[in-house]
Parts: sequence; C-alpha cells; structure tokens
Amino acid sequence: MEAFLAGMALLLDPKILLVVFAGTVIGIIVGALPGISGSTTTALLLPFTIPMGPVPAIAFLGAIYCAANFGGSITAILVNSPGDPSASATAFDGYPMAVKGEAGRALGMSAVASAIGGIFSVVVLIIAAPLLARVAYSFGPPEYFALAVFGLSMVAMSGGDSMLKNLIAGAFGVWLATIGRDLTTGVERYTFGIHSFSDGIEFIPVLIGLFALTELLEQASQLRNKAWVAKLGAVRLPSWDDVRKCSKAIWLSSAIGTFIGILPALGATTAAMIAYVETKRWSKNKAEFGKGAIEGVAGPEAANNAAVGGAMVPTLALGIPGSTTTAIILAGLIVQGVRPGPHLFTEQPLLLYAVFSSMLLANLLYLVLGLGFAKVFARISLVPAPLLWPAVFVLSVIGAYAPNQAMAEVWVAIAFGFIGFFMRRYGFSPAPLVIGLVLGRMVEETLKQSLLIFDLNWSGFLGRPIAMTLFGLTVLFLLGPFLLQRLRGRP
Amino acid sequence: MSSNRVAAAAVVAIAVALFAATFWFEQMPEGITRGFGAEAFPRLVLGTIVVLAVLLAFVSPTGEALPRIPPMVYYTSASLLAFMALVPVTGMLPAMFLFLAGLGYLWGERRHWLLLLNAGLLTVAIWAVFVKGFGVQLPHSFLFPS
Repeated sequence: MEAFLAGMALLLDPKILLVVFAGTVIGIIVGALPGISGSTTTALLLPFTIPMGPVPAIAFLGAIYCAANFGGSITAILVNSPGDPSASATAFDGYPMAVKGEAGRALGMSAVASAIGGIFSVVVLIIAAPLLARVAYSFGPPEYFALAVFGLSMVAMSGGDSMLKNLIAGAFGVWLATIGRDLTTGVERYTFGIHSFSDGIEFIPVLIGLFALTELLEQASQLRNKAWVAKLGAVRLPSWDDVRKCSKAIWLSSAIGTFIGILPALGATTAAMIAYVETKRWSKNKAEFGKGAIEGVAGPEAANNAAVGGAMVPTLALGIPGSTTTAIILAGLIVQGVRPGPHLFTEQPLLLYAVFSSMLLANLLYLVLGLGFAKVFARISLVPAPLLWPAVFVLSVIGAYAPNQAMAEVWVAIAFGFIGFFMRRYGFSPAPLVIGLVLGRMVEETLKQSLLIFDLNWSGFLGRPIAMTLFGLTVLFLLGPFLLQRLRGRP
Repeated sequence: MSSNRVAAAAVVAIAVALFAATFWFEQMPEGITRGFGAEAFPRLVLGTIVVLAVLLAFVSPTGEALPRIPPMVYYTSASLLAFMALVPVTGMLPAMFLFLAGLGYLWGERRHWLLLLNAGLLTVAIWAVFVKGFGVQLPHSFLFPS
C-alpha cells in the first residue's frame, strides 16, 4: 500500500506529469495517423526515452500505448481508415455514424468507453499483477524456460493468419537473440566482424526497421489510395440515454478486453473484434449494427483500451509480453537496465506503481483531450504522405543512430525495413519476430541453467510439475486448433 | 511456384546457411562448454525453423498470387540507399534535408516552398534537439569534416 501511495505521489512530480501528458498527446496524434500504430510509435520513440531514466521512460511509453488505441478511433470514425489496427472494429459503426452526421457523438462515446475500459483494466492490473508475481516468485530456471516456451507458442496466434508463418517468424526472432557473445563460453556468434554486434543485436534499430521503415515502404506502394473525409460537428458528450444504452456493452467489453489482453500474444485488435461480435450478440438492436450503432463504437473501444492494461499483467509480472507494443515496452525496460519479472514487485515496487498510476492518468487525460480536442487531432490525418513519411524516415535514422552513435545501427534498421516489407508481402507478421527477439535470451539462458541443474538430462523436466503443466498448455495451444478442426470433420 | 512455397524455400535456404555458419564458431574445451556449446542453441532454433518451413511448404502449399511490387517501392528503396551513400559525403543533416525534399517530390508533392520549408524546419529541429540538446555527435563527412 505504501508503494502504491508513493507511486501515486510520483504523479505530483512535474517531470512525470509532463512526460505522461506528452506521451498522451503524442499517442493520440500518432494513433490518429493512418499507418502509424502505437507499436510503430513506441519503437520510433524508444531511443528518446534512454536519457529519461526508468520511471519517466516507462510512464511515457505506457501513456503512448494507452492513448494510441484511442487516437486510432478518431480516423476510424472520420475517415474510415483506422489509425491503429486495434480501431478496425470501431470503423464498422463509427464511420456510418459519421456519414449520418453523428461524428461528434461517435467520438464522444469512443472517448468515454475508451477511458472506462482503460481504467477498468489498470485496476485489474494493480490487483492481478502482484498476485501473479507471487505465484511466479517460486519459479526456478526450468519453470521460466517452460513459461518462455509457452509465451513463444502463443505467437502462433499473434500477428498473421497462418500459425506456421507466425511460428517461423517467432523462431527467427529467437535466432536473432543468439547474435553476439555467448554468455557461457564467450564465443562470438554471427557477428561477422562487426564490433557493435558483440553485445547482441540492439532492439531499437530492429524495431524501428520492422515497424517504421517497413510502413514507409508499404505507404510507397499505396500512394494513390485516398480516403473520403467525413465532416466533423462539435464533439459532444454522449447523452445519458447513450451511456445507459451502451453500459452493458462497455462493461462486457472491458472484461473481455482485459482477459484477452492478459493472454500472451493476443492484443487489442483481437480484443476489439471479439468485443464487437459479443456486443452485437447481446444487443437488443442487432439490426442497427454496421449501419451506425453507437454500441458498435462503445464495445470495441472499451475492449481495445482494456486490453492495454491486461497486456501489461504478464509483461510486468512474468516478463512475457502480452502484445507487440508491450514487447517494445519490455525492450524499453531492458534498455533501462530493468529486467521485468516477479522480483520487480519486491525490488522496485515504486517503478511498478509509477507505471500503474501513469497509465491511470493517461486514461483520464485522453478522456479530457479526446473530448476537447478531437477536432484538432483529426486534422493530423490530413498531413500529406509526401511530407509525413520522409519525416518518419529521418526520425527513424536519428532514432537508430543516437543511442550508440553508430551508422551500423542505421544500416540494421534499413535492413530490417526491407526484411519486414518482404515478410509482410509473404504473409509473415513482424509481431511474432519481436516477441521471439525479446524472449530469445530468456529461452536460451533458462534452458542452459535448467540443463546444468539436471546434469544435461532432459528428463529432469519431468520432475517439475509446474514446468510440465506449462509444456502441456503449450502443446494444447499449438495442437488445439488442428484437433478442433478434426473433431468438426473439416479437412 | 506458389508464394508459400517460395517463402518456405527462402526460409530453408537462409536457415541452412546460418546453420552452416555455426561450424565456423570458435571451439571451446568441454570444461567450459559443459556439454552445451555456443553453437547448440542456434542449431536447435534453426533446425526448428527448417522443420516449420518444410511443414509450411506441404501443409499450406498454395498461398495467394502476389501483385507486382509497384515501381515507387523500388524508387523509395533506392532513395533510402542513396541517403546512406550521401551521409559520408555531405554529413547527416544536409543528407536529411536533401532526402526530405527529394522523397517528398518523388511522392508527388509539387509545392516546392512547402517541401523546402518542411525539410528546413525538420532538419533544424533535429539539429536543435539532438546535436545541441542531447549532445549527439553526428558522423564526420567528406565535405564538412569538423
């Protein structure tokens, strides 16, 4: 409780307030920009957080993560072009509302539902993360290895539609983590004489390349597409009737979003889609959906913001990212010298509660900013691509270069820009690769430690019930979809 | 050949090349490796990748027909590489200015004043924040060595 109060008191620190405010504004703006998602932004801004220190850095990234999901709904409603993938479901009914001249009402409901969903999930995060950490505190290397493998198995369902492609991308990410000096023997692996690779491949250039530069090349291939922009009336608070009509959708979707967010590798986009379906299923006005139902905006918006807090639960308590953006935030913590996991709750409780309180503040801030300035933020989406994307490249270059002041890192970013472009072209999502890269070191280290404990005897895992349960869950998650297909008699 | 098989073949080729590279890792005595050398884990991962790629080729052999890559992607890629080639000659900030104006023009913006204003403002902002603010040392160049 003391740590919680101390964490809340940090919000009185003007520096923290400033970074949370800046993160919220940046999050809303970039969330509103079609093509620049929250994960792209956190990857792009990660280098700038290095001089901030751990607490402001994570508060800043957390605020961007919270606000970008809401920002995505602005362009989803006004332009039918979700600024963030998690706002895709919002466009189903938000855009028809805008076409009917109800853009302000849709944006108002989006802000209210997002804030409720976000705050709900942060409260769950505050309660659930320490409990999960307490369970995980008794874990040894074999359990951590099993947990990391379980986390990796979940990449099968993250990103693209093909489970095999997701697993390949995830395994490629794990391989990337082997670049550099082997911790046990000191042998250099895949460094090709490049000095800066000796300590391993840096997260920042890889993330900038995979997200920002890949998106630049994607945008180059879609230059002719133009969206129709709906007229925006004044943004207004939803009426009491609107809130009453949507309350069931908001609470149901907040619970769904938080639960899905907690599951490793399932993110806000999945949460919003499932919430949309469930909101429609439980609604009395099913026929309105797709034609401008306000519940169709409230449900997905509550869920995609609730998934943010949910995704932070395994990230902070276990060190297993719950989504692409939390994988980047995890990288941000590692860059700051902080290793997430259960020990954080005993060693650095202040850091954790600062994260929780900054996320709460970000949710309140975007409610205020969203209602007050949505019209201004919406104009951001009108920045022409020929001005916006070259600027993104220049920021990517300086972002990749600045931390180590090495041009080799810029080359790495550009190389991963091309790799990401071809991955997307052939149906591979970059998200599993990032999760694999973040978890790769943990997998190798804990496997080596486990085998040393077991005297190189793999059957030693059989005597560890928690590890075996996690292995069982891994197999279940990997084979479950195939078995279900067989049971249903599909080929 | 279907796109999935092309992708699977490329993945196998890369994984096999990386697997082969492990044979050039420095060898250490058994007392140091304790039965788990530096090459063991990469081999395990790359072997898994090969198995998954082979599965992809046989379980999902079809895959969508891919559209041609638009020429603008090649031009944009070339401009990224041109930027990298320009940095050692002009220095990073002038290269950024030229890139901002050049790619904007390539992508269809014809308001020259806007391109130059955007390029100028952003370059100055990067200089002010990173060079003056954070003390980042930009790489030396042929034209501006100091």
